[in-house]
Amino acid sequence: MKRITEKRLILMVSVITMLLLPGVLVAAIPGITGPDFSLTAKTGTVVVDDGSNIFMWGFANGTGSMQYPAPTLIVTEGQLVTVSLTNQLPVNVSIVFPGQTGVTATGGVPGLLTNDAAPGGTVTYTFTAGQPGTYTYYSGTQPELQVEMGLVGALIIRPLQGPKYAYNDAATVFDREYLFVLSEMDPPIHVKVQQGKFDEIDNSEAYPVAWFMNGRAGMDTVAANNDPIFPHQPYAALALMQPGERVLVRMVGAGRDLHPFHLHGNHHRVIAKDGRLLKSGLTTDLSEGAFTTSVGPGQTFDAIWSWTGANMGWDFYGHKGPNGEIGQACVDAGVALQPGESLADHCKPIPVAPPDNKDMFFGPLYTGSPYLGGAGPLPPGEGGFNPYGAYPFMWHSHAEKELTSYNVFPGGMLTWALVVPPGLLQPEP
Amino acid sequence: MTKKLSISFVLLLLLIMGTGSEAALRVQCPGDTNQDAQWTGAEVQPANTTCMHIVGSDGFAAMADGYPQYIFSFSNMTGVPIDQVSDTAELNAQSPAPQIKVREGQDFYLTLSTVPMAMRPDLFDAHSVHWHGFPNATPYFDGEPMATVGIFPGASFSFYYKVPDSGTYAYHCHVEATEHMQMGMLGSLSVAPAQDGQSIGGFTQFAYNDGDGTTGYDVEYPILITGFDPDFHDANLNVQPLPFAAMDDRYMMLNGRGYPDTINTNPAGLTPPTRPDGTTGKVSQTVNALITATSGQRVLLRIANLSSVHFSTITIPGITMRVVGKDAKILRGQDGTPLYYNTNTLTLGGGQTAEVLIGPVATGTYFLHTTKHPELSNRNEDFGGLMTEIVIQ
Repeated sequence: MKRITEKRLILMVSVITMLLLPGVLVAAIPGITGPDFSLTAKTGTVVVDDGSNIFMWGFANGTGSMQYPAPTLIVTEGQLVTVSLTNQLPVNVSIVFPGQTGVTATGGVPGLLTNDAAPGGTVTYTFTAGQPGTYTYYSGTQPELQVEMGLVGALIIRPLQGPKYAYNDAATVFDREYLFVLSEMDPPIHVKVQQGKFDEIDNSEAYPVAWFMNGRAGMDTVAANNDPIFPHQPYAALALMQPGERVLVRMVGAGRDLHPFHLHGNHHRVIAKDGRLLKSGLTTDLSEGAFTTSVGPGQTFDAIWSWTGANMGWDFYGHKGPNGEIGQACVDAGVALQPGESLADHCKPIPVAPPDNKDMFFGPLYTGSPYLGGAGPLPPGEGGFNPYGAYPFMWHSHAEKELTSYNVFPGGMLTWALVVPPGLLQPEP
Repeated sequence: MTKKLSISFVLLLLLIMGTGSEAALRVQCPGDTNQDAQWTGAEVQPANTTCMHIVGSDGFAAMADGYPQYIFSFSNMTGVPIDQVSDTAELNAQSPAPQIKVREGQDFYLTLSTVPMAMRPDLFDAHSVHWHGFPNATPYFDGEPMATVGIFPGASFSFYYKVPDSGTYAYHCHVEATEHMQMGMLGSLSVAPAQDGQSIGGFTQFAYNDGDGTTGYDVEYPILITGFDPDFHDANLNVQPLPFAAMDDRYMMLNGRGYPDTINTNPAGLTPPTRPDGTTGKVSQTVNALITATSGQRVLLRIANLSSVHFSTITIPGITMRVVGKDAKILRGQDGTPLYYNTNTLTLGGGQTAEVLIGPVATGTYFLHTTKHPELSNRNEDFGGLMTEIVIQ
């Protein structure tokens, strides 16, 4: 409470502006669509939520700005993918594509894992996008330093079965999808790189003190995609959905540590790991329900998350009859059911009374009402950053230490999922 | 902005105190007229209803090497007359927080009250209860304060839960989560399945509604993995800046104790810690982690990790663990494919839970411990930390 800054509150408002614009289609996973990509390795700076800057090496799309994480590359199963890399950094750089087979490198200079692009040089990688799924890609040249510096991103291979499938399997159909690239940094390493003091860097002693989701520290995560105040961190990490929708959550471990990613609001079902469906043969289902998934460095997980609000014992829409009836009288008045709610709970009021306003701390996303789409009286200056009455659920690292940036809570690896009242969100394109 | 808010909080608190802080504590529990969260005398307990009253405060706990740690946590005030709650709960934080055990389908009314931090009168921190893993939650009862409300000292908030699917969950305060969880506001929470009481496969108690008795057990034990960073706790007590970035759990514990305190069965709890002023603190560690059973029995271990920093891997040399559930979900594919597995190690990160079945086991004493060996210490005292014993008679 005492540590929430006005800046962050303003960022939360930008969340809401996404909802305020009718007809604006929310591209759930921003990225660049292949199969031919041109990336440039160059320097830049990212902003941490406390306002400090960190010097970075990263990939840019063509001649654009370096960005963190690297551009999300989106291709379709079976495509011949080419990635040409131009290197504007003072050291050799390369790209490896874990999970892909038959990757060939053309040009460049020989490196340890693949061909490098020398400073000022280029190299081109080619492979056939074999199996659909969520993957990562990163520098294969001194990755212990270059991944820390920011040369890492996600690769999504879409299945042939259709645009709303994660895999070629009916159980992987989704309404919306979101990507969460999890990482951390040890800022003094970046200072030494900026100063050219490479001899002083000991990667074995790295000690992260800042944590990121899609390259942003909480609550910067909820600012819009391509928000100009984050010129090198274009990707939001905010998940929007309506009750009952199936949300595909793509998780990528893009740093050096293992992170327990906890999703408030409901269980998720992990359907794939490292771009492989959790199935044995055609039928045997190996997926697991979970409320926290440990994402290790270089790993990816795909999960389906949904929220219906069913069976909670009260009507989360707060339905009342035309004359304020509750309970059976409200049902008898013909008040219609809305998506997600249980018939048994229809018209049932919340069974406990709230405390007096003077006894409560009000969160900035609280609407003054416990109901979805609701709004209630709030003390002056409290709450109010959630005007459509969405249900916010924090999605975050449950290694609670990682909810900080440079010793300041809240920050780090946290973001929000917003369950928006029905009818307010456009379908995902 | 922050200063103005702080001043208004002070004024609010003075206002609350001026009008009598007891007046603001309120337990909501159907059929309970005297607000002690239970049914006595003429009070009638509604069918399928259960209530509990917990209070957030500060206090002290003794580490296994004797070092006193300043903590924040909850204490169980169920059954305590409402006009005695503030005095009883003062400096009474428990390590871990009181265990919550409920049954699938119950109407569960959980009242959280908050009393001022006796050692940190400068703090006006609100508290909350986050039922970790609650399926289909609403923010109002989820306890994550940015999405909803928190409750200030001197007042109460009642949570209502239609108790969901069975399994092992956990709960903790979500206000300033890194600080309040590191300080100790966390506890075990489990839900018994509706199937309990039926006789299936030779058992009458089960981890899940399995339909075939494969998650049946004879005795169950909560095993809560937590850790304290003494530098963080001391900084909090001494009103110093909190070392978030340097946080590291150097006292790893099971059920709020390090070995060998984990096997201390004194029913009165551990010897209370000595407070900085030399007075003796309240008993705060009443739960041991000793696991006892007979050789023919099947034991359910409900394991949860709520450490703020560590992933931990546990093992039981001489006993194979059978994992039947994780994160309050039975290990089965969507098509019902059984995914139970036998293992000698189980790794859990913060916020993960698992159900492990052991037995039948031959008589003897076994050790359940971390395989991350530096965690087998109470700070710089060896042969301690994240370990307990399993005694099979």
